Amino acid sequence: MNVTEYIASGILESYVMGAVSDQERREVECLSSVYPEIGHELNQLSEAIEHYAMFHSVEPPASTKDKLLQQLNFGQHEEVDDDEQTNDTIVRPMPVDMSSSHSHRTTWIVAACMGLAMLLFSFFLLSKLRTNQNALVSVRTRNDSLKTVASKLKADQVESAQVVALLSQPALKRIELKGNEKAPKGNLFIFWSAATKQVAVNVKSLPALPTDKQYQLWALVDGKPIDAGVFDADSTGSTTQPLNRSIARADAFAVTVEKRGGNPSPTMSTLLAVSPVKA
Amino acid sequence: MKRQSSLVSESVLIEKLIQRDQQAFQWLYDQYSPALYGVVLRIVRDDDQAADLLQDIFIKIWKNLDAYDATKGRLFTWMLNVARNTAIDSIRARKTQPFAEIRTDAETVHIVDQEHSTEQPKPEHIGLKDVVNQLRPERKELIDLVYFGGYTHEEAAEKLNLPLGTVKTRVRAALQELKQLFR
Repeated sequence: MNVTEYIASGILESYVMGAVSDQERREVECLSSVYPEIGHELNQLSEAIEHYAMFHSVEPPASTKDKLLQQLNFGQHEEVDDDEQTNDTIVRPMPVDMSSSHSHRTTWIVAACMGLAMLLFSFFLLSKLRTNQNALVSVRTRNDSLKTVASKLKADQVESAQVVALLSQPALKRIELKGNEKAPKGNLFIFWSAATKQVAVNVKSLPALPTDKQYQLWALVDGKPIDAGVFDADSTGSTTQPLNRSIARADAFAVTVEKRGGNPSPTMSTLLAVSPVKA
Repeated sequence: MKRQSSLVSESVLIEKLIQRDQQAFQWLYDQYSPALYGVVLRIVRDDDQAADLLQDIFIKIWKNLDAYDATKGRLFTWMLNVARNTAIDSIRARKTQPFAEIRTDAETVHIVDQEHSTEQPKPEHIGLKDVVNQLRPERKELIDLVYFGGYTHEEAAEKLNLPLGTVKTRVRAALQELKQLFR
């Protein structure tokens, strides 16, 4: 607000003259305590009016003073009033204080209980969470192992199906080969169908080979060896493994040890077993 | 006792008054009763009534000292207001048609003023008299009408047959002049 304008408005002069409304009076009293300039101006105007009133002084009758001195109670104000006040202050606030402090205590107890309950509940939840996490880990482990089993079973099943398919071929021949002196315990079966030209090997027992070597099957046709595919002994165990060569004719089958992947012609020094195909 | 020197210890005076100190009251009465009596007399224009009112006024001041707030104004100003309001209330209550009568009262204010101030001048106010007489008559008239007659600005405008704006301007000018004169 504009202090200068307010001072110039004449409201302060009206105030000291007692010609303002109650609202204006409160406004002036408030603003004069907030703005030092207004307070200063009001003080000067009050002083002017005081001087003016002093100027019009008239000595009152002496009897007025005597009457007043008789009528007023001197030196008693503090005792009477203070007694009343202390009585009041003792009586009044006590029950209020009691009830409020009591209700506060109850509130605190309730709050503390709730806090404790929350704490316990959160511990419960935490332990529950840990249990669940452990359970989850064990379930995952079991799931993984089951998956392994399942995939192995599936692979076995595929293999079995292949074997079944192989064995159910028309005109299937089963030829047993026995190891010579180089592999005395050697024993394997050849399954061959002339109609579908497919060959499969079922190794019962053959010596383990170094990793750079493999067994190779040969079909003998008119005395000439024809590559019939390579196979391993230990990794496949006793399962039947189909070979990826087409054999239309065979008079006999022979097994040699060759380098991994096989050779175009057999190494005769490593011949382990040979057996004729029975008509 | 000089008023100027005592103003310094006004808070001490108030403290003692609230403690109901008789000496402090006597001092207060001696110091301010002539001024308050003068104001009341100019409003009611009756010695006996003014004396009764002065008694009432000092009882009011005595009882309401606790309520006096030094931050809201000067003690003497506050006492003057108590005196003025009490006196104006009494004439408004007494008269059936206060408004009409006050007009005639106000016209006699000057006469009363002359009587009392010339007959019983206080020595320390002799200098003041010269000062107040420097005040322009139309401004003095307005101050007397509003301050001693209890007129509102509107009533004063009607009484003096002046526009309200002129009355307001003149009240301000009068107080400013008074302020300068007493500086």
